[in-house]
Parts: sequence; structure tokens; C-alpha cells
Amino acid sequence: MKNRFPQSLRLIIISLVAIGVLALALSGTFTSLSRWVATPITAVQTWVSRQYQGVENLLSASQDIQEIRQQNTALEAENARMQAQIVGLQQQLVEFEILSALLEFARANPEHQYSGASIIGRDPSPFLNYIIINRGADDGLRRGMPVVTQNGLAGRIVQVTASAARVSLITDPAARINVRIEPSRSPAVLTGSITGDITLEQIPQDADVNPGNLILTSGLGGNYPANIIVGQITSVRSRENALFQSASVQPVTDFSDLSIVLVITNFEPVDFSPLIPEAGTP
Amino acid sequence: MSVILSIPTLAFISILQSAVVSRLPLNQGIADLMLVLLVAIALQKKVNTAWQWSIIGGLLTDFNSGLPFGIFTASYLLATALATVLRERIWRFSFLMQLLVVLAGTLVSQVLSYLVFFLGGTSLDFVTVLRVITMPSIILNFMLSLPIFVLTRDVLDQINPQEQNA
Repeated sequence: MKNRFPQSLRLIIISLVAIGVLALALSGTFTSLSRWVATPITAVQTWVSRQYQGVENLLSASQDIQEIRQQNTALEAENARMQAQIVGLQQQLVEFEILSALLEFARANPEHQYSGASIIGRDPSPFLNYIIINRGADDGLRRGMPVVTQNGLAGRIVQVTASAARVSLITDPAARINVRIEPSRSPAVLTGSITGDITLEQIPQDADVNPGNLILTSGLGGNYPANIIVGQITSVRSRENALFQSASVQPVTDFSDLSIVLVITNFEPVDFSPLIPEAGTP
Repeated sequence: MSVILSIPTLAFISILQSAVVSRLPLNQGIADLMLVLLVAIALQKKVNTAWQWSIIGGLLTDFNSGLPFGIFTASYLLATALATVLRERIWRFSFLMQLLVVLAGTLVSQVLSYLVFFLGGTSLDFVTVLRVITMPSIILNFMLSLPIFVLTRDVLDQINPQEQNA
């Protein structure tokens, strides 16, 4: 098809149209038109952009989750380590407090020599209130040595091996300890029982004994040194026709929570058996 | 089941008894882990070394205890004897047999201990002993019986199938 306009004329027409469009655009004629076109385009672009950001977040989040999980695992391990450290430190603190109290006891009673020992077990028989300590003959312990805690008397050694010793507590049913009651200074015999309670027997009827009185070892019998605190009277039982009074005693030592004890190593128990006359001898 | 295996196993149980179980009393009663384990072993069919295990377990416990030597060995042997008789007489025994033998073993052990104190001149009130030691000990032993019975059976099946399946 033959072109109806020469080349130069087409150029002029196009230039004029372009200038006209430009002028119309600059004068604001196209504003409403461009808004009408741009609004759906912007909406579509916004939607596409949001979807893209969502996908981008999803991809980057998987990496973040991996990192967070690794950090969480590391923190959990750190937390467990710190917890174990706290437990260890708390245990050390308790031991330190006990040792401090034992040291105080040793300073307050300088007439004795002491050897510290940890409790490593209890007798498997429920009939015996015995504990096992981690010091024995190799550490200079001997049968009959008294055992104390920071509060007072705990018992005495009844059996010794090279590296361990068995201690009969004052709550043992077979325990018999000569004591005196303060402030009346009345003598009595402290006995253990199968229930773990301790009682005072053979208190003279004329003795002035009241709840709250202190019980100390008397040293009679030669099994324990004198003046070690044992407990406190909680109640007194007295009958008119009985030969003796009796009393319940609250021990100063908490036997359910024993962990460290002191053994009095410079005490030699006295064996009275040769002096006791045999049956039938005059 | 190998007797050699019994020495480290029962030594560990003996340590566990003294260091842990004896420190967890119910009233004044204490569980007898060794008795419960020995009964569980003795009740397993085809285990033909129960007597040796009982003797070793009894000697270890006697060594650990302040009671006169032989009390625990005698108790464990009597419990093993009862378990063996029940195992041979009753075709299909169950966990109830474990409880029955543990009950009998606990009572024998407690009666022998009571007699030791009685003959030694220490009078113990029988009702108090029953209330504060015997009953709590039986309850604790019963509580240990099920897990130890099941554990013993499974372990024996695993480590010694030829003896179990012979």
C-alpha cells in the first residue's frame, strides 16, 4: 500500500502529537486517567509483593528456626550444667555449714581430740539404730570411742574395720547411757527404744525434774566422757508407788539428717567387767 | 545363671541397701532389697543357682549388719527354700508367689532378729515391733517386689537365654 504522507510530514505529525500529549500530561488532564489505570496495577503489585515477602519469610524462617533450635539446645545444655553446679554448690554449702558447726563444737570442748567422719550407710536391719562411718582403725578409731555431732552426743563405736566403723546411736534399743539432769544434777539412765524415741529411767523419786531440763552425760560407767549434752526433757512421768520417775527426752541431734560426725579419739572407755562379781561368788 | 556374676551383682545390691534403701525408712521399717531380689531370682524357672545366690547375698548382708552373723543368711535360705518348693509344686506361678515368699522371708528375718534381742536381754514390745517395724517393712518389700520381679525376669531372659529356654 502506498504511503499517503511523505516521510517528513509523518515526523512532524508524530512530534506534534507527542508534544500535545506531553502538554496535556503537564497540564494535569491525564491525572484522573492515570489514577484509574494505576489503582488496579498498584493493587496487583501489592498483592504480588506480599506473596513474595511471605515466601521469602518462609524460606528465611526455616533457617532462623534451625538457628533457634541450635541455640535452644546449647542453652538447655548450659542450663543443665548450671543446675548441676548449683546443686553441687548447695551441697558444699550444707557441708561447710555442718563442718563450721562441728568446728565450733570442737573449739567449745577443747579437752577432747576429734576425728571427722562422713556417714556412708545404715545398718540393713531395722532393729538396729546403727550407722556406718568412713573412718576406721587405719585412722586411729577404736571400739568404744564416743561419737558426737555439732549439737551433742550421737552414739559410740561398736565395731571397727580398717577403713570403716559401725556406730550404735543413742536411740538404739540396746543403748544404756548414764546421764545427769541439769540443774538438779540428779542421776538417771537414758535408754533407746525400737521406735527411735529415748527415755530417762531410774530418776530418783525425790529428784526435782521438769520439762525443759537438760540431759548431759555423767561419765559414770566409763563408756562416755562427762558433760556432753544429750537432750532435753519433754515430759515427766511420776507415780507415787513407783521406785523411780521416768521422762521422755527430745535428743539434740537430728538422727534422720546425720551426714557428718566427730569421733572423740582421746577417750578410753573403762572396762568394768573384771570388777563385777560372777554369780555364786561370795 | 553364673555364680561368678552373683558376687559383683549382690555386692552392689548390698551397698545400695546400706547406702540408700536403709536411709529411706517407713516408720522404723526398712525394705530388704536383697531378700526381694533373691526371691525374684529363686522363683525364675530353670534358674538352678538360686541357693548359691542366697548364700552369697546372706553373707554379704550379714557382713554389713550388726546383728549376729547368720541371721540374714538363714532368712534368705529359708525364703529360697520356700520359693523352690513353690516353683516345683505349682505349675503356673505368678507374681503372687513373689509376694507370698517375700512376706514369709520378711517374717522369718524379723522373728530371728526379735529372738536375738530377746535372748540378749533386751525386751522389745512385740506389738510395737509389729506396728513400727514389721508391717512397714512388709509394705516396703511389697512395693519393691513388682519392679524387681519384672526386671529380674527380663534381665535373666536377656543375659542367659540358654538357661531360661533349656
